[in-house]
Amino acid sequence: MGVDDVPLDDKAKRMRDLLSSFYSPDPAMSSSNSSKFASLDAINTTSFDADQYMNLLVQKSNLEGLLQKHVEMAAEIKNLDTDLQMLVYENYNKFISATDTIKRMNNNIVGMEANMEQLLEKIMSVQSRSDGVNTSLFEKREHIEKLHRTRNLLRKVQFIYDLPARLGKCIKSEAYADAVRFYTGAMPIFKAYGDSSFQDCKRASEEAMGTVIKNLQGKLFSDAESIQARAEAAVLLKQLDFPVDSLKAKLFEKLEQSLEDLQLKTEEITNVLEDSSDPINLATTNDASIREFVEAIRAYRVIFPDSEKQLIKLSQDLIAKHFEITEQYIKEQISVAKFLGVLRIIWRDVLLMDEVLNEAFLPDYSLGAAQVVVKQYVANTFSHLLRDISDALTVNIHMKVEELPLQIALETSKNAVLKGSMDVLVDFRHFLDDNLGFLLKLRDSIVDWVQEGFQDFFMALDKQFLLLSGRNKSVSQEQGLTEGMMVDKVLAGLVLVLAQLSVFIEQTAIPKITEEIATSFSGGGVRSFENGPAFVPGEICRIFRSAGEKFLHHYITMRTQRVSVLLKKRFKAPNWVKHKEPREVHMFVDLFLQELEAIGAEVKQLLPEGGLRKHRRSESNGSTTSSRSNPLRDDRMTRTNTQRARSQLLETHLAKLFKQKVEIFTKTEFTQESVVTTIVKLCLKSLQEFVRLQTFNRSGFQQNQLDIQFLRSPLKETVEDEAAIDFLLDEVIKQEPDSRSFGLLLEVHQRFYFSLIYMKIVREGDLGLTSLSFMHSFLGRQEFKIFMASFDIFWQAMMDMCLLMEQVIVGTSERCLDPIPLEPPILDKLIQAKLAKKREQNAITS
Amino acid sequence: MQGASSGVGYGLKYQARCISDVKADTDHTSFITGTLSLREENEVHLIRLSSGGTELICEGLFSHPNEIWDLSSCPFDQRIFSTVFSTGESYGAAVWQIPELYGQLNSPQLEKIASLDAHSGKINCILWWPSGRNDKLISIDEENLFLWSLDCSKKAAQVQSKESAGMLHYLSGGAWDPHDVNAVAATCESSVQFWDLRTMNKTNSIDCTHVRNVDYDTKKKHILVTAEDESGIHVWDLRMPKVPIKELPGHAHWTWAISCNPEYDGLILSGGTDSTVNLWLASTSTGDGMTSESLVESPTQLVDPLLNSYSDYEDSVYGLAWSSREPWIFASLSYDGRVRHFKHLS
Repeated sequence: MGVDDVPLDDKAKRMRDLLSSFYSPDPAMSSSNSSKFASLDAINTTSFDADQYMNLLVQKSNLEGLLQKHVEMAAEIKNLDTDLQMLVYENYNKFISATDTIKRMNNNIVGMEANMEQLLEKIMSVQSRSDGVNTSLFEKREHIEKLHRTRNLLRKVQFIYDLPARLGKCIKSEAYADAVRFYTGAMPIFKAYGDSSFQDCKRASEEAMGTVIKNLQGKLFSDAESIQARAEAAVLLKQLDFPVDSLKAKLFEKLEQSLEDLQLKTEEITNVLEDSSDPINLATTNDASIREFVEAIRAYRVIFPDSEKQLIKLSQDLIAKHFEITEQYIKEQISVAKFLGVLRIIWRDVLLMDEVLNEAFLPDYSLGAAQVVVKQYVANTFSHLLRDISDALTVNIHMKVEELPLQIALETSKNAVLKGSMDVLVDFRHFLDDNLGFLLKLRDSIVDWVQEGFQDFFMALDKQFLLLSGRNKSVSQEQGLTEGMMVDKVLAGLVLVLAQLSVFIEQTAIPKITEEIATSFSGGGVRSFENGPAFVPGEICRIFRSAGEKFLHHYITMRTQRVSVLLKKRFKAPNWVKHKEPREVHMFVDLFLQELEAIGAEVKQLLPEGGLRKHRRSESNGSTTSSRSNPLRDDRMTRTNTQRARSQLLETHLAKLFKQKVEIFTKTEFTQESVVTTIVKLCLKSLQEFVRLQTFNRSGFQQNQLDIQFLRSPLKETVEDEAAIDFLLDEVIKQEPDSRSFGLLLEVHQRFYFSLIYMKIVREGDLGLTSLSFMHSFLGRQEFKIFMASFDIFWQAMMDMCLLMEQVIVGTSERCLDPIPLEPPILDKLIQAKLAKKREQNAITS
Repeated sequence: MQGASSGVGYGLKYQARCISDVKADTDHTSFITGTLSLREENEVHLIRLSSGGTELICEGLFSHPNEIWDLSSCPFDQRIFSTVFSTGESYGAAVWQIPELYGQLNSPQLEKIASLDAHSGKINCILWWPSGRNDKLISIDEENLFLWSLDCSKKAAQVQSKESAGMLHYLSGGAWDPHDVNAVAATCESSVQFWDLRTMNKTNSIDCTHVRNVDYDTKKKHILVTAEDESGIHVWDLRMPKVPIKELPGHAHWTWAISCNPEYDGLILSGGTDSTVNLWLASTSTGDGMTSESLVESPTQLVDPLLNSYSDYEDSVYGLAWSSREPWIFASLSYDGRVRHFKHLS
């Protein structure tokens, strides 16, 4: 509703409402809208009560208001009148026009009915005619249809009767496809009537089809036929509802059969491989068979396209078999070339098969298997190496025919270690250099395996050494010590060999191997980085260094143990308090010297001669001396035995002169001298300890004095040799400080002569230390020290021994109730007698 | 691991082999030692560590008739001790008492309580009842084992029982099991034998040769430590006597004496003829599964058991004793007659 006509609105609206209510059956509909006016001027509602309205108006309004209302209402009524008039007029108009229209319609409808009747008549006649045509043509049409059916049937019957002949023709012309088509076409009929009318015919065609099937089968199995033809045959057979699966199985069996043949051939190959060294030759023999197999697989795949799984399995089996044989094969020691040859053959087969059977991922599969085999090969190689080395160690030692069994054992085992490892490395380099498919892929792994292999190998070697040395079975060994002397003797040498071998490995073999590995086996890195490189030469070196020291120590322990047993027997058995006058040097000295000789022999075979190195004082870990003797006691002793104990006193003074503690337990080095002196020193120390546990009478003391005296000279011989002494003497001359006066230099020369004299004395078995003491008194303390210092090199060891022997005597004298030494002439006489006896014995034995 | 080694020294006049902790002295850390001199007048020294621990004081000096080969202090009376002595030709053993007012006397004489004179051969050692007051005493000579009953007040000792070790078994020493007072370990040439004192029968033995010394672990039952000439130190579990549970390298020459710490488990002291004293830590708690093989096989994985090596000696060390009062102190005695006290602090 527009805003403009708002002033008109109330009135106009009411009007419209009224009018519409006039037409509309339900006045409430419209009145509801204006219900709000009801209270005030609901003049239009049905419930309007004029009286009430009037009363209300009169009561409420004043006169003026009433008058105004009156005017308003009058105007309204006037308006309503005009509106009503208008309405009536309009309606009247409409009514007139409607009457006109009805009049026109009435006029137009008059001729229509006649037309309609005419039309009906015509339609009736058309229908009757068409019915007539239909009835006249019906019979003929039926007849035609029947004829047509008969003809079709006859044609089929004809085809079936012809079928055997036709099939025969097809067989003749080998048109099996047609035959099958015909036969399958006729199949429904045979199925329906085969038992009755077409019995003969069916039988004949079935016979023919039998031939067809047979021929097809033949074709399928014949290798001569083209694959296409065979595939067609298979398809046809399938069309004929022939059990193809069984055929497939049969064919598969055939494949397997050929596979077995192939495997047999492979075995033959490995056999041949052992005999011949030329793997290329063999490759060709294997070649043909594998090619056949590949062809067969190809055909099979074409014929039975859904058979991959089986084929994959089959070919994987083949490869697995291959590797199995290889594994068997490498259990024996084979050369790397042969192993590579085998791998090469396998790889070629794999590649061939891969061409046909791409889905099988044969290279991957075989890579896995190859990994195992190569790894095993590496492991086997190392175990062979280990066995070779231990064989080299044990076999040679137990072969007593050899003149220098230990030396030979050491040399062969050294060789076995170094050459063996180098050979292994060279072999493994072949792996890396080879451009074979797997090996390229396995390259990193091989590098790791080789490194790991070496690491493990040396660990195992260390364990093997321990086992050989018997060190980890100390308990059983101790038990076996007394009864198994002979075995132990061999074993002791072996331990020394092991010690030296460990040093060799540490110092020579490992660096070489490390170098070799660094040049050709670096990289790898399949192992995680946290683990570091697989081969840790530092660790191995450390292991072998400690092993070497351990073995050397063990050797020394074993040797000293034997001497200890000897000494124990010597000192436990007699009653020293009731000992008789010494008559000759006791037998144990001979035994002891024999032991030392045996040790010397072993050591000479194995260890290098020690260079003239300085005696290492700093590394000593123990010391002993009895030089810190009580002056009182010494004095008293001197007083009592002034003349007799002269030499002893001098020697004690000598020991004091040196003041430093005698260092027995210096670090043992891998030299002949070092080992021998260590053993000698340890034995002498043991001797001292045994002596300290006893109490001697005079004769017992004298006996010991004699024994020790006799021990002296040969003991010294074990550590000195002439050339070394000459060299040393030269050194003495050279080393004399030039700042000294000429006179002193002369003195040095004098000293030099004295030392020469001394050496002679020592060698002839005289009292070396006595003359030394004499020299000491002649030269004066300071000079003597210088002199001694220049002799330090070999002298120290000897001095240690001399002092130890001295200590034994001192120890004996301390434990003696009446320590009066033998008179030198008697001592000398007894020793000479013993020496003579010994010479005699030597003459007899030699 | 390295303990501080501050040594305090004391010199005996003559050579000496044996030193013993005076267990019964609860007020002081004292040791008793005796000299070994064949031809001189031998002495027994009672040594006390000064309260500051900086000095060794001679508390008493007594003359002893013969050279002393073994000496041990009575565990319940600080004035009583036993010695094994030798005249050179024959051996004797006795129990002695230090006179009460020895400090005031000029040259106090030891009172002999009892003479253990049933022995014929060389006597090796005397063992006191491991702890507490008891009249039992064991003496071991080369062939026999004697069990004595000592009566201090009556000054008499009686042989309660005696057993021969058997032919060809020369006994060399022994130890009384502190956990089982009926068991005594005796060392002989090729084995360690175990005796039951009630029946005086051999119950068990461990095969090991050249045992110099033997000691029970005072803290742990069944654990025995042996010191052997060449082959070092072995720790045994008596329940598994076949193989030692631990092997220690010992000394450069023989390992002569061994002593387990009275308080700290696995702390072992050894003295050797290479003139050193070594302190080892050989924990036996994990030792059950550890055989000697594994020890040899994996030496790098093990911590070095050697805690400290005291090498400031002039001669072989034969005597060792832990102080039971202050178990971090030990006394060592080298043959030249030097007593040294060390504190091991770790």
